Formats: sequence, structure tokens, C-alpha cells
Amino acid sequence: MECYSEQTCAIFADGELAVEEAQRLRNHLVTCPRCRDLVDALQAENRLLSESLREFPEEAANPTGLFRLRWSQVWGDFGVAAAVLALASMVFLWIDELRIPQALEWLNPFSLSGLANLIFNVSYYFAHGGAAMLDDYAVVVGCLSLLLLLGGGALLLGRKRLPQPGLRLLIVVLALSLPSFALEHRHGRDVTVAANETVDDTLFATGDTVRVDGVINGDLLAAGQTVEVRGTVKGDLLTCAQRTVVSGTVEGHIYTFSRSLDLRGQLGRSMYGWVQSLRVDSKGRVGDGIVVGAGDVNLEGDVARSVTIATGSADLSGNVGRELTMAGGNLTLTNTARVGGDLTAHVHHLQDVHIADGATIAGKRNIQVEVRKNRFTRPEFYFHQALWLVAAMLVGLLGLVLFPGFFQTSTQAVGSGWRSLGLGVGVLAGAPLVIVVAAITLVCLPISLMLLAVYLAAIYMAKIWVGAFLGRVVLRTGETTKLNWLLGLLVGLVILTVVGFIPYLGGLIRLAVLCLGLGAFAWQLYRASRTPTTA
Amino acid sequence: MNAERNKANGLRCREVEAKDMEALDLESVIERAQGHDTGALAEIYRRYARRVFGLCRYMLGSRESAEDATSEVFLKLQRSIESYDGSIPFPRWLLRVAGNQCIDALRHRQRGRQVIVEVEDGAAVLEAARPEPSPLGALISTEEGARVRRAIARLPENYRVPLVLRYYSELSYDEIAQQLGLQRDHVATLIFRAKQELRRTLAHRSK
Repeated sequence: MECYSEQTCAIFADGELAVEEAQRLRNHLVTCPRCRDLVDALQAENRLLSESLREFPEEAANPTGLFRLRWSQVWGDFGVAAAVLALASMVFLWIDELRIPQALEWLNPFSLSGLANLIFNVSYYFAHGGAAMLDDYAVVVGCLSLLLLLGGGALLLGRKRLPQPGLRLLIVVLALSLPSFALEHRHGRDVTVAANETVDDTLFATGDTVRVDGVINGDLLAAGQTVEVRGTVKGDLLTCAQRTVVSGTVEGHIYTFSRSLDLRGQLGRSMYGWVQSLRVDSKGRVGDGIVVGAGDVNLEGDVARSVTIATGSADLSGNVGRELTMAGGNLTLTNTARVGGDLTAHVHHLQDVHIADGATIAGKRNIQVEVRKNRFTRPEFYFHQALWLVAAMLVGLLGLVLFPGFFQTSTQAVGSGWRSLGLGVGVLAGAPLVIVVAAITLVCLPISLMLLAVYLAAIYMAKIWVGAFLGRVVLRTGETTKLNWLLGLLVGLVILTVVGFIPYLGGLIRLAVLCLGLGAFAWQLYRASRTPTTA
Repeated sequence: MNAERNKANGLRCREVEAKDMEALDLESVIERAQGHDTGALAEIYRRYARRVFGLCRYMLGSRESAEDATSEVFLKLQRSIESYDGSIPFPRWLLRVAGNQCIDALRHRQRGRQVIVEVEDGAAVLEAARPEPSPLGALISTEEGARVRRAIARLPENYRVPLVLRYYSELSYDEIAQQLGLQRDHVATLIFRAKQELRRTLAHRSK
């Protein structure tokens, strides 16, 4: 009798052959060892298929997946980009309708002056290795926000398990930003605390001009074109303004981000900030110290303790109670200048430091001319990198313990390549706009603060997710256990760190890594808020 | 005070309920779920989400779509479970529902076109001249499961969907034909070709 076709045997092996034909085939098998072997093998094949299918296919850990481009995706991306543009133009119109205080126009990216400001700043920023700077900055700020987020998360949710990691994250962020809802808020063209007025709480004031003639028993958070304290602030003063003038008294600290800060009155504690121009008037007095980065610094008054400044140019004609430490361009001490401790200056040339003969320096004069030494030859450099690596590993571990699904899927999302990259560019550039707009429309300041915390944390985490993904690709670990994830993270971070130091190209790579990680994060956050995790 | 006590009791009850539910046999859980008991529905989710997700993952090709489809299956289950009459085992029924959901998703992705196109030479293949026997078994014994899974995931949709419905959901040719709107013979051919393609891929890769 003639043998059966392989396909008929396969249907028989599946148990799907019609009864009579199956019986005929069975009879044939008794006499035909060749067909019997074939049917046995086909049945074994079926069993193996069923067994193999019991596990899920591994997620795309193949390096080629990173740049696999599908036309449907490209069209999809074009569609999304068009939608974003359309939405942006609507938002633009909407923002134009809003009444933004004149004072904050220079921060509004949708106004002409704001746009010019933004373009100038961004181009300057990237011309000076902005991506690396942003990265470094985010290490400090992002790490702090992240520890707060994770710590808060652990405290809040240590015992209860909520179904969605995205929801958990949102609750933590909301909880952290709750204090900002409790502020007293004043907003107007001119906000004034009159001379006979006392505010017993923390005051948040925004306007073209914010003037305090009276007394604020809490802190003052002020944003405006001009912020002027002529009365008394018993707490701290936080300002974001074009011009900040303190001719009255601030009993706490001053934290400032202003174009210029003028201290003509009394400051009880220290001053921290980032300003273009800082001046402590001859009548000005700082009860503690000063730590600022500034374009130019002019110290004519008294500072009770030490002064630490990074500046292009510093003039000192007043008193510094203890050490004066300066790094940057020029330092000039006039005849009336007095430094109670050591003078340390880090400058590029010896002649950048001018000390008048009449100037008094109680301690040592330590002027260090910074010869640009190759950083790779300094042991601190390696120590710093190792420290960074350990910190990143710890943060990765903490995140993995608290939000395991989210961290692992974010890592996988990096693998979608173009989508993550494109989304990341959008988030990197778009989030600051949203944060600024949210802050200046004043309605949603808490949201703005929340977003800022998440944004900085995400910038910090970007490298971790990309690192973990890269590590997995390099190590070819298909299974996603926690140990493998961490091992991959270590390998990936080491590679990223080394690659990041390639001249020119390194900066671009850092930027790409940042965008990839941010994109993956944004995508995962979006997904976590939409669907419950199923696997 | 009383309200607080009631609330605490309520919480405790719910915990106890969840534990009880775990101990219940499947029929009772299904019965309760048909009576719109959310605890029972949650228990079904707990028991079968992974299996449903696996099917969706194979059929739809990406984790994201699979997660979407899985959520959809369990959302719809609240209503559709009423139509389960016990004539076939529940897991099999559930996988059939999930299979339908995936086919809908694929159809939607292809803008309503038929998901699986008919094989060009149709039933004629059934009795084609017998090729040299090359079952996967000999090959597969040396392969790791992971490689097979990857190869299945990379099969064209035309082959992957019937293959997965057959060997993951364990549906019969007739059931697959019904779900995909194809002739039974075509299903047999597609599955046969899927396996041939799989062998080819694996043989090529192991060289």
C-alpha cells in the first residue's frame, strides 16, 4: 500500500483526521515502519511545541530591535507629531489669552521676549556642554527628589500593595507636593504688604512688583519683576525675579534665582543662590555666610562668616569674618577689604588676583592657578565616577524593590528605539515648558512643582534604564530576573560612563541616552496609568 | 464608633473572603462570578491572567498590545461569563474568548481586513506529493525552548495565529476555522506550513 503524505500524517498526529481515514492510516502504520517513525516524530514535535509555548517569548533583547523601523510606526509617529503640533498651537492661543503677569513675560516661552530668552539660553547652554551639565546637575537635584520620592513611597506604601505602579508613584508625588497647597497666595500687578500689616503665615506672592513693607512671620516665596523687602521677613526668602532688593530684614536664609540681588539691609542667616549680579551694599550685613554662583559679585558690606563664590569677577571692599573662597575669573580686594580667615582663590592666571596693599587678610593667602590638567590622570576623578556608579546602582536596586514591574518594563521600553528617542526629545524639551507655563499661570503651581520633581528624577533615572537595557543586550540575558537586571545595569552603566568621555561624540551619546531613558519612562508612565499589569 | 467597627469588620470580611475564594473549586468560583461577585471575578483573573496574557502575547506580537487585550478580555468577562454553560472546560472557553479578542485586535490593526488570508493553492496541498520527512522533533531536541519561542514569535501572522490557537489554546481545527472564518482544510494547511516554516527557520539558525 502506498504511504500517506506528511500533511495527512500531521493531521493524524493532531487527532484531526476523519474517523475512517484515521483507521486506515492506523492499519497502515502497523505494516509501515517509515510512516510509524514519521507519526511518532510528528507527535513528539506537537508535544514540544505545546511545552515550548507554556513560557512567553522573551522581550526584544536583540540589538537589532533597537533600530528596527517599520513604516506603519513612522506614519504613526508623523501622526503623533502632527497632533502634538496642532495641540501646541491651541495651547499657544490659550496661553496667549491667559493673563500672565508682565513681570514673568521674560519666562513665558510663548512671548517674544521669552522666546528670545529661551533660544539664547538654550543655544548658550548646549554650546557649553549643556547635556553633560544637565546630567551632573540632575545627579544632585534628581537624586534628592528621587530619594524623597522613593523614601516617601516606602513609608506610605510599605505595607499595602496597590495594583498599579503608576498609581503608587502618583500618590507619592501628590503626597510630597501637598505642602504647596497650604500657602497663602497673593497675586496681582503690584503686591504689597503694607507697613502696618503682619502676615502670620508663609506668603506666596507673584506680581510685577512684590513689595514687603510690613512683617511676614513665615517665609516669603516671591516671583516677579522686582521683589523688594523693606520690612521684615522672619522666615526664609525665596525669590525668582529679575531684580531682588533687600533693604529691610530677612531673619532666615535667602535662596534666590534672580538676575540681580541687592542686599542693603540685614540678613540673619546665609545666602544661597544663582544670580547674574550680586551686590552686598556697605549697609548690608550677612549674619552667616554666602554661597553663590554669580556673574559678578560686589561685597561692600559685612559677612559674619565665610564666603564661597564661583564668579566671573569679584570685588571685595567690605568685611568677611572668616574664609573667603573664590573660583573663577578675577578677584580684587581693595584697601578697605578685610578677610578674617584664609583667602583661597582658584584662578587661571596669577595676575587675575589683585590685592591692594591696605587689604587685611588674617589667614593664609592661597592662590591656586588652575592649570587644566587631564582629568583622567587624577585619582579623584576615578573616585568620583566610582561613587556615582555605586549611587546609581543603589538607586536602581531601591527602585527595583519598590516598583519592580515599572523598572523592568521601563528598561524594556528603551528597546523600542525610535519611539523612546523621539518621545524623550519631546519630554526633555517639552517638560520645562510645561513646568514654566504651569508655574506662571499660577493656577497650577503645585502641579508645576510636582512635575519638576518627577522631571529631575527621570533625568537621573534615564541613564539607569538605558544602562540596564544596554547591559542586557551585551550580556544577552533573556530572562528578566532581578539579579540579571542589576548585573546588566552594572555593565551598562560602566559602558555608558566610558563612552560618555569620548570627546565630542560623548556629549551626543549622553544626550541620546538621556532622551532614550526619558522617552521610555514617559511611555511606561503613560501605560501604567492606562492598564493594570498582567504578567 | 459603630461605623468604625463596621468598617473594620467589613475589611476583615473581605480579607477572609479572598482567602476563602482561593480555596474554592473552579465551578463555585464561576457560579459566583456569574452572579456578578467581584471577588470571584478577581479570583478568575488571579488564576488565568497569566495564561490569557500568554496567548495574547503570542498572537499580537507585542507586550503592550497583549496587555491591552488581556485587560479587555477580563473587562468583558464580567458580562460574557454569563454565557458560559459548562459544556467545555472553563480554561478552554476562556482562551477561546481571548483568541477572539486577539483576532478582533488584529482585524482592527489591519483596518477590518481578514486576518488570515487563504492559502493560494488551498486544499490541493493536502494530497501533494510526499516530501522527505523532516519533522521538527529531531531538530527540536537539541534546541532550547527559548529559541523555539523566539522562532514562533517571528513567524508571519498567517502562520503564527493558527499555530498558537492550536498548540497554546489547544483548539480543534474546527474551532480555529470558526474563529478565523476559514475552511477547515485551510486551517490544516496553515498549521502544516507553519511547522515547515518553523523547521526551516530553526534549521537555518542552527547552522
